Amino acid sequence: MKPRCAISRWTWVLACCAGALAPIGNCAAAERAPAYIAIPSGSFASTLSNPSDNNSPVRVERFALRETPVTNGEFLSFVNAHPEWRRDRIPATFADASYLHHWASPSTPGPGQDDRPVISVSWFAAQAYCEAEQARLPTWYEWEYVAAASKTSPDARRDASWRAEILRWYGRTSEAPPATVGGTANFYGVKNMHGLVWEWVDDFNALLISADSRNQGDPDKLKFCGAGAISLQDRENYAVLMRVALLSSLQGADTTNNLGFRCARTLPDAK
Amino acid sequence: MKRVKLVRNIWMKAAALVGLVMCVQTSMAAAQSPAKLKGDFGPPQGEPIHAVLTSPPNVPPAIHRKYPAKVIVDLEVVEKEMAISEGVKYMFWTFGGTVPGSFIRVRQGDTVEFHLKNNPNNKMPHNIDLHGVTGPGGGAASSFTAPGHESQFTFKALNEGIYVYHCATAPVGMHIANGMYGLILVEPPEGLSPVDHEYYVMQGDFYTSGKYREKGVQPFDMDKAIDERPTYVLFNGAEGSLTGDKALTAKTDEKIRLFVGNGGPNLVSSFHVIGAIFDKVRYEGGTHFQENVQTTLIPSGGAVMVEYKTKVPGSYVLVDHSIFRAFNKGALAIMKVDGPMKKDIYSGKELDSVYLGDRAQPNMASVSKATQAAASGTLTLQDQINAGRELFAGTCSVCHQANGAGLPGVFPPLAQSDFLNSDLHRAVGIPLHGLSGKVTVNGKEYESVMPPMSQLNDDEIANILTYVLNSWDNKGGRVDAAEVKAERARTVPAPAAGH
Amino acid sequence: MKPFLHLFAILISCFALGGGIAHAQTAAAAAAPLPGNSVYQFSPVMTDQDGRHFALADKRGKPVLVSMFYNSCQFVCPMLIDTLRDTEAALNQEQRKNLSVLLVTFDPARDDVATLKGIATKRDLDLTHWTLARTDAASVRKIAAVLGIQYRRLPNGDYNHTTALILLDAEGRIAGSTAKLGEVDADFVKLIKEQGQP
Repeated sequence: MKPRCAISRWTWVLACCAGALAPIGNCAAAERAPAYIAIPSGSFASTLSNPSDNNSPVRVERFALRETPVTNGEFLSFVNAHPEWRRDRIPATFADASYLHHWASPSTPGPGQDDRPVISVSWFAAQAYCEAEQARLPTWYEWEYVAAASKTSPDARRDASWRAEILRWYGRTSEAPPATVGGTANFYGVKNMHGLVWEWVDDFNALLISADSRNQGDPDKLKFCGAGAISLQDRENYAVLMRVALLSSLQGADTTNNLGFRCARTLPDAK
Repeated sequence: MKRVKLVRNIWMKAAALVGLVMCVQTSMAAAQSPAKLKGDFGPPQGEPIHAVLTSPPNVPPAIHRKYPAKVIVDLEVVEKEMAISEGVKYMFWTFGGTVPGSFIRVRQGDTVEFHLKNNPNNKMPHNIDLHGVTGPGGGAASSFTAPGHESQFTFKALNEGIYVYHCATAPVGMHIANGMYGLILVEPPEGLSPVDHEYYVMQGDFYTSGKYREKGVQPFDMDKAIDERPTYVLFNGAEGSLTGDKALTAKTDEKIRLFVGNGGPNLVSSFHVIGAIFDKVRYEGGTHFQENVQTTLIPSGGAVMVEYKTKVPGSYVLVDHSIFRAFNKGALAIMKVDGPMKKDIYSGKELDSVYLGDRAQPNMASVSKATQAAASGTLTLQDQINAGRELFAGTCSVCHQANGAGLPGVFPPLAQSDFLNSDLHRAVGIPLHGLSGKVTVNGKEYESVMPPMSQLNDDEIANILTYVLNSWDNKGGRVDAAEVKAERARTVPAPAAGH
Repeated sequence: MKPFLHLFAILISCFALGGGIAHAQTAAAAAAPLPGNSVYQFSPVMTDQDGRHFALADKRGKPVLVSMFYNSCQFVCPMLIDTLRDTEAALNQEQRKNLSVLLVTFDPARDDVATLKGIATKRDLDLTHWTLARTDAASVRKIAAVLGIQYRRLPNGDYNHTTALILLDAEGRIAGSTAKLGEVDADFVKLIKEQGQP
């Protein structure tokens, strides 16, 4: 789990003397292990319908999800350990020109940024971060499953006031940096699923809706090989629709100001 | 026989072959030069032009170019909080920073290179559907843009007309409800006829959680939008956007053209300008026009061009004639027209006289009879009383009451009036010259002003006075027209009472 | 001396353990530096229809026509192979020799080496410059992201996916693409010919 910390004491001292911060940074981060919350398995009706399956409920297997989105401070540790992911070194294939543009320098987020969610990160960067933490990005279904919860209910999507509260976030300007992570946990114990930042998912490029979202049921089967674009159920759940819209507008190297991420881990079967 | 048949066969086959070859050639020729699309005037010529975009209510200048060109349009999406009403703020999503978005003006046949930019501070992805585009989604499929990114697509403006554009990103209703619409004008190749002013007005319905004019930052209300229960119905995105010092302006005798769009998302507009009649309406923004129109329908997601000439100065109110929207939801704008009065067309208020309802019309029969009788010299006392009664009802009873009782403290009585009965001669002068100052009638003081009844002629005054004298137990008597005439000729000022 | 060498070795391995990508980079750095926008910046280990392992970046040096498919696809994928072949046929002998074709499967779980070989045989593909390849599921997602291809696994094991023929230049930069299937895209062919110029 933590191979980097299995280093002899001698080399520890030498590392300190040589002023090599990276191993220390890594080990320190490993010491402050980020909180992962176990999410029980379940079934739910996804907003993305399953046409070949008559829109039946989707099953999500038990998995662990990070309690909060990854912060600038945590991302800094990663970038220090893997400098090929610094914004002045990253190849264009993996991130666009706006990658981490809000950081004071390629190696410092700047004052007050440590506990704010990292934004302007590409999907590739998010993937690499999660891999470095022996984790991965959540799938869309996993994300949607946990996001359906309010403080008291695992599925609050029918609750008009809960939906209205989420919609309110879209009605606010976004020029200031996002607020710090934390706050009220939802039913599962996870925080900031709404109201803070958009979040990457592992299969962002599986959201096969057409760029013109009015073409639901458009029989252009050739374009998507057989089944056509997926349809969006529950079109009144605008909060989710907007997430799908945003993720489907992006390529893997794209970054945008309100987009961050959190990691997930597959858990061994409970039984 | 056989030989003839053989020759004929050969000729037939040859003819068929020639025919076939010709067919193939013409079809090949046709394939090489396909039928020209209507509105396609060929490839763009000259240097690419950067389109001039304007903010509402202004319109870019008319195009005088006579050839199709490449026109580059740069439009940025900005999400910003603005006032929707006094003290009420709303998060609008805008094309070009305004609601409605920037006005785009091109010429039919132009090749438009469209750049859609999504400001990096925005939260949402956006795209654009221009109703003037022939192509999938009207451009929406090719312009889906994440914040901090830019998309480009090119289209040829084949059809002339005035077209709506709007964002078509899911959820579409919300993007439109937040103000993401505008107009693009594709001018016909010969241009539009010249006018003195062109203005850009666009109606939209808005849905907030709070009530109409409830102060503070109001969020979008999804349920109200789905139920089509708007809180505001506005021209150009805000109450007061086109009133007061922001009213549209013009002078008299000017030709006005309004490009009026309806972004919706839900309501249809019954567009009317109070006090004006549209000389020309290109209904639905199409090619044909209607004339002499009072109110025109603008479908949601549609537009019209209306033209009218200003003639008379004043404030002309643009409304949605589903009238509660105008006065209770804000669908109201003003065009202020300055210039000299034109009384022959509209005089303004001429007379403010008392209107007595069903008592207003005197029974003209008796008055006519009296007039005739007077002319033929056969006027009797009764004729005068009858006529006088009707005339009194129409003129004097307003103040002195139908029973002659007057109004205590205000208008003196005529019934059993000592003032009246003591001096008949004086009585004749009063309707002629009026009366002001203190009078004491039947022991009570009155200080009012009676204006001279200059609309009454001698006969009428004679008849009225005769009626009064013979009513309500007054002492009786008769006044004839000659006496009134003589009194009138005297240039004595209004008899000052009591001095 | 020795402790410092020891330290140096530890530091190197720390960095190396930090990410597979770093590893790939140090390996690729052996040649001239890759352009920043080259697809080969991501170079997972892949297996071809003959069971040979190779790194994606090994394709560097010649233009590559790349696309993604899967065996059980009844609808579009057979057309994809036809279109690739027809596109090739529009080139002359020299140009064809200078172009490699790479097809990566969406479905590594079911498309094992034997299946890939079966397709190659059945469709009579010229394996001197055609490669059918598979790699691990995570790398499939990344390759798709890098190429801009979308795909989605359905519960019955089939895949919804967009289809594109993508042309990489000799350095792995995306030179162009076409979504036309069932016919040869003349503009795309022109692009391939231009890439083939020395």
